[in-house]
Formats: sequence, C-alpha cells, structure tokens
Amino acid sequence: MTGVRNVTFQFDKRLLVLIGRGVLVLLAAMLVAAPWIFDLADLQVITELLCLLVLAVMWNLLAGYADIVTIGQHGFVGIGCYAFYAFAVFTDVGPYAAILLAGLTTLVFALPAMIVVFRLRAAYLAVGTWVLAEVMMLGAGKIDAFGAGLGISLPVSVVREFGGNIAERFTTIYWMALILAVTAMAATYFLMRSATGIGLTAMRDNEEAAGAVGVNLFRARVICFLWAAPFLGLAGALITLQKLRIAPAASFSIIDWTVYIIFIVVIGGVGSFEGPVIGTFVFFLIREYLQSWGVWHFIVLGGVSIAMVLIEPRGIWGLLRRVVPGDLIPVSHRPPRGS
Amino acid sequence: MPVTAASDTSPLLAVRQLSVFYGQFRAVDAVDLSVRAGEVVSIIGANGAGKSSLLKAIIGQADRIEGVISYCGEDLAGQGTAEIVAKGIALVPEGRRLFPSLSVEENLHIGWEVGRQGEIGIEDVFGFFPILKERCRQKARELSGGQQQMVALGRALLANPRLLLCDEISLGLAPVVIDSLYKLIPAIKARGIGILVVEQDITRSLAVADRFYCLLEGKVTLASRPSATSREVVMQHYFGL
Amino acid sequence: MAGAWANQIIQGILLGGLYAMFAIGLSLSVGIMRFVNIAHGDLIVLVSFLLLTLTTRLGVPLLVATAIVVPVAFVGGYLLQRLLLQRVLGQGVLSIVLVTFGLSVIIQNALQGIYGADTRLIQGGGIETETIQLAGGINIGMLPLAIFVFAVALVFALDLLLYRTRLGARIRAVSDDVASANLVGLRSAHIYAVAMGIVGVTVALSAGFMSVWTNFDPTSGPSRLLVAFEAVVLGGLGSLWGTLAGGIIVGIAQSLGAQVDAGWQLLAGHLVFLAVFLIRPQGLFPK
Repeated sequence: MTGVRNVTFQFDKRLLVLIGRGVLVLLAAMLVAAPWIFDLADLQVITELLCLLVLAVMWNLLAGYADIVTIGQHGFVGIGCYAFYAFAVFTDVGPYAAILLAGLTTLVFALPAMIVVFRLRAAYLAVGTWVLAEVMMLGAGKIDAFGAGLGISLPVSVVREFGGNIAERFTTIYWMALILAVTAMAATYFLMRSATGIGLTAMRDNEEAAGAVGVNLFRARVICFLWAAPFLGLAGALITLQKLRIAPAASFSIIDWTVYIIFIVVIGGVGSFEGPVIGTFVFFLIREYLQSWGVWHFIVLGGVSIAMVLIEPRGIWGLLRRVVPGDLIPVSHRPPRGS
Repeated sequence: MPVTAASDTSPLLAVRQLSVFYGQFRAVDAVDLSVRAGEVVSIIGANGAGKSSLLKAIIGQADRIEGVISYCGEDLAGQGTAEIVAKGIALVPEGRRLFPSLSVEENLHIGWEVGRQGEIGIEDVFGFFPILKERCRQKARELSGGQQQMVALGRALLANPRLLLCDEISLGLAPVVIDSLYKLIPAIKARGIGILVVEQDITRSLAVADRFYCLLEGKVTLASRPSATSREVVMQHYFGL
Repeated sequence: MAGAWANQIIQGILLGGLYAMFAIGLSLSVGIMRFVNIAHGDLIVLVSFLLLTLTTRLGVPLLVATAIVVPVAFVGGYLLQRLLLQRVLGQGVLSIVLVTFGLSVIIQNALQGIYGADTRLIQGGGIETETIQLAGGINIGMLPLAIFVFAVALVFALDLLLYRTRLGARIRAVSDDVASANLVGLRSAHIYAVAMGIVGVTVALSAGFMSVWTNFDPTSGPSRLLVAFEAVVLGGLGSLWGTLAGGIIVGIAQSLGAQVDAGWQLLAGHLVFLAVFLIRPQGLFPK
C-alpha cells in the first residue's frame, strides 16, 4: 500500500516539472502571437517587461553567478540610451545599426569600468559600481549636444524609421525587444552551460568544489561582466525608442534600471534561470495592482525582498523548488540534492 | 595517590552516549567518557577519529549532538559557549586561534573576561611564562609559534577553568618548546583542575595521563590507564587491528 | 583670484569635516563587521527627520533633541544588528547588500509617505549665520568650524575606545576572527550589536550636524552614502584617521569643482575619488 502511494507521489512531482515547462512554452507562444492578440497599450507594457527581463537576466548573471553584486546597472543602461541617440542622430549609420552600436559602445565603456570594479573588495563592490553609474549620469548631463541636464527628444525623422504610424512602430519595437530577450536568455544559457558557467555554478554552490574543477574564477567573472554590458546597452536603446527621449535622470534611472531589477531577481530567485522570469511576472502584478499605493508599493517590495533573503534566499523559485523536483531550464547536469 | 582520592568524588565531566554530527556525518559515535577534578585524561586516535569534534561538542560548538554532556552534575545541553566557559570549562583550541592584531596582554585578558574570574591572574601566567611578560605589548601575530601557544594556554588558564581542554597543543612546535608546555601540566593538575588532552603524539600523551581513551572512527575502542596497558595493545586499538 | 582658491580649499576642508562625520559610522561597520551598509545614508536622513519632528513639532531645542536621539540611535543600531543584519552576516556579501538595500528603499519611501518630498533644514539657533573673518577676505562659518572640530574629536574618542579600552579589544577580537572569538567564549553577536550601536551614535551625531548645515529630503540618503563610501575607501579599510582624511579630500575636490562651475561640484568629488582610488586602491592609511 505504501509502495503504491509512494509511486503515485513520485509521478505527481515529476508532472510538476512538465507543467512548469508547459507554462513556459505557452508563455513563449503567447509572446510570439502577442502583436495579433493584444492591443497597442498592452503590447507596450509587454515590450517594457521584456526590456526589464533582459536587465534582470543580466543582473542575475552578475550577482547570482559571477559574485559581482552591482548597484550600478543603470549606468550601462544609460550609456546605451545615449549611444543610441548619438549614432541615430549624429551619424548616418541608420537606426538599426545605431541600436547595435549602442550595445557595442556599452561594451567599450565596460572595459575601463572593469579596472575599478575588479579592484574593489567584495564588500565595496556594490557601492563602487554605484559611484561609477553616478559619474556616468553626471557626465552625460554635462554634454550640451545631449541637452545637458534636461535631456533631448529623439527627432521625429529617427522615430519614423521604425514605422510610419504608431501601430507599426510599436510592433517593430516589440519584435526587437522579443528578439533581444530571447537572445539574452539563450546566450546566457549557453554561457552557463560552457566550462565558464559550470565553474561559476560550482562556485555558487561550493567554493572548494570550484577550485577542484580548476576554473579560473577571475577570468570567468570578467567574461560575465563583459557579457552583460552590451545587453544592458541594447536594452537601453530599445528603452529610448519607447520613451522617445534621453535625459540623465530618466536614462540613468536607478529606480527603474537597478532598484526594480534587484527586486525582480531577488523575489523571483537569485542564481537560477527561472528566477528572473518569475520575478518579472510577479513585479508586473505588483506594479499593476499596488502602484496606486504610491510609496507604499516600494515599501512592500523592499519588505518582501528582505523577507525573501531571510526565509528563502533563492526566491520564489527556491520555494517552488522545494516541491518541484527539477529545473524547468536545466542549466547544469547536477543530480538533484538529497533531502 | 590523587587518582584514587579523586575517584571517590563524582566526576567533573561525564559524557554519556555522545554522538556528534556534521550534517549527515557522524564524527563521534556513542562515546562514554569522564574526567575528575585533578585528573589528566588523554584522548588518542588517528586523524579523523573524532577527537577535536568531541572537544568542540563539550565547549558547545558542535552542529548537532545526541547524548548527554554533564558538567558538575548539570546537563550542558542547549548552553552556548559563553555560558559554558563562564561556568569553568576552557579550551586551548587547535591551531591556537589567537587574535592576531591584539597585543599579548589583550589576548590574555580576553580569557579573564569570559571566564570565572578566580584566583589565577595575569601575574600567574607571567610566572608560568616569563617571556610573555616581556612581550606583553607586542601583537600576537609577531610572536613565535611556541610563544603563541603559551598565550593560548595562558588565555585558557585565565578563565580559571575547573576543566581544561587542550587540543593538539604540541602541533608544529619544537620538542624543547613542547617540553616547557607539558612541564606545566602537573602544576595545573595540582590546583585541582581536570584536564582533557587531545594529542597526536601518543608517547607524550600517555606520559602525562592518569587515564586514556582510544578513539577509532568516532567510537571508544579502549579505555584504560597507561600503566596498565602495553604499547602493543594501545597500537592495536589505535589502528583498529 | 588666488584668494578665492585658498578660500575654496579652506571651505572644502571644513566640508570634509561633515563628510567625515557621515563616513565614521560606515568606516566602523566596514572595519569591524566587514560589510557596507547600503542604508547608512538613509539612516542619517531618518534621524534628521526625527530631529525635525522633535524641534519643530515639539519645540525641543536642537541640542536637547540630539541628546535625546543619541541613546535611541544606540539602541536602534543594536537591535538592527541583532535582529536583522546578524542573521545574514554569515551568508556572504549578496545577502547583506540585499537586506540593507531593501532597508534603504523602505526608509526613503516611508519618510516620503510620512513627511512628503519637501526639502528641509533645521534652524540651529543663530550659529549657522556666525562667521569668523580671516586675513585675505576669507570667512569661516562658525557652524562648519564647530562640525570640523567635533569630527576630529569624535575620531580621537573612537580611536581611544577601540584601542585603549577592554570593550575595544573585544570588538577588535571579534573583527579579527569571529570563529575564534566564539570558540573562546566571546559573545560575538552581542559585541557586533554593540559596535553597531556605536555606529548608530555616530549616525545620530552626523544627522544633528547635517540637518542644520545642508538641506535634506527623504531621498538624500544615497548621496550621503556615496560620499561616506568614498571617504572610507580613500582612507583605507578600518582606519578612522584615514576616513577623516578621505572626507577632507572629497570635500576639497567638491569645493574646487564648485569654484570652476557650480554644476561640477559632485562630479569633481567622484572623479577625484576614482583617480586616487586607481593610484592607491588600498587607501591612504590602510591598517
């Protein structure tokens, strides 16, 4: 009797992984069909969420795997915004090339930033990245060509290149955001499955084991830092296309591109692939239903994320993972841990 | 004979059916052991036999234990290290574990602060180890290994323990330094302090002990007196032959 | 013209006194507990608002209000460490950053919810307008001078506390090696909490000074944190005198930057910080 119950129980648990993967597939299908099933306002919200997802995946890569806990992510997003504007307005490379060049420019900025970031002790690193982002924002606000402190609007001629009317434009931007999100997740997935990623996962789980694997952790952390930068810049370019203007306070917004992102990853689950996806969805719900609470929705977000760190540092996915026997997106071939 | 005199009284430390766990690993397995006042008890055993885990459990630093550790008739279950030390158990930890940026005097005084604050004062420790008086303003990290071990032993003595736990105090030291440390054991014993010695060096360990226990893979394989046991028998139980 | 620059340097040194006040508490928590409290600046602003309520709503004089707030801040710091931070101390940098970051967001928004977003300044009872005239047309404000002298005295007192008292030795012991401290019977959680209580006292004192000298609003915390952080890193880990020097460097850099162009004050501070950091990553006076 107990034997039979046991078997059924096992079956149920594995079914949960399948259900979870089913939900992911449905979600993906819905995203592909989105331009035909959602109206423009909804499409714009989803575009924005996709950009946040990209930022969350990158913050998770750095903080959750590479041990680079940054509070300065908004710096690179802002560089992306400004670089996109520069290439789109001051050069004739064309608007789509300008987006790609924005990613490349962010990568170029990441190189000198590394000199500072990797010299900071672990405890200092978080605030050190914040100082860098602050310097980037203040510096951007000193350049008259970008409207100095007030910022500047994207010329209509540039905007029109992405579509003659609003519907066409929103759809184009949506597709670009979807492609960026898929690329970001796929690229990060392959990075995590490479020797570099396996070494970082080992470090996350057990530092001695990582040493035994023989991974050069410094090199792995550098790769992750340079990996994340261009994606942050690309997201910045798409964000600029939605906001239609650049400004120091908005393009380098710590609230939008760092604070919210940290909440998304912490609530969803740091150090897991599912975490940023779950977190983005939960964040969307909280924002939709609690934003009318004004400052109190921040207090709820802050309180929930502190509670998460205390109760389950692996976030909602960590809580689910207590019941679900496997990862939905298997990053490593680790056998599931014993009870 | 102090040993027979002490055996009339109830033991200072009585460990019954003690198991110590690290995660799923059982480092100590159902050990029974006792130490009386003024008695030196040695624990011998190979690396990984569970000797240090046993001492850590007594001082309140084990992850999880089963069984009873009773000190002066009181169960120590659930008490923190600070409470246990204040009641009169002090540990000389393996590897000395001094505070490197603190001076010799500050290191020693910490032993006094956490302990029972009884008759042994800092001058007594300087009496045992005159070199420490000369160096009392120096930082602990600037001392030689032997001097550091003197500070570690002095710190434990300043807690005025009734039970002193010594974990590998000879490790990495020159024989002449070890001699000077071990010469103190009779003087400590004469104050009525019970001493539990964990030591790799079997010869030295048995030379100072009134009684000894041999541990193998967490279990007691032999409990006896050095005078009553031949070296062959000790070695058999040490290696589990 | 040279006189104007000399004046800016002197004003910068005095500004550095205020920045050192912000930074001393952060320096203690970095030096002793090895973490950077992201909410440090927000705690300073929180206490400033408490002082605002005491002085404007209840009419308590500022000095008395500060005297009331200091012990409260000690208890607050003690409890913050004991009940919240101690629980995640062993979990690594990520957890402590996330918890103090969450705290920072909560404090900023709670203050905004309670007090609104307005910029505030507390009246100091006349001292803020008094000045001393020096040769060459240089004016020194009594308030900045008093703050500077107080900052130096506070560093001196904390240095004595840490290096000349038994409590200081216990704090340094736990900071040296917390596992060893536990092994010999020190109550490390309590000692950490006392250290955080002392940090709370410095937070309250710096809040008292800040609230009469500079404007503050519920979101002022992060800029205070960044300045404090720069002073601590420039000074070198665990060195209080170094932190004072670091604060002065940032103060002078900002003051000279402002002399060039008012809009360059903040950026000049950050750039000088980065330049000095790249030359001496271990800080000016590492322990």
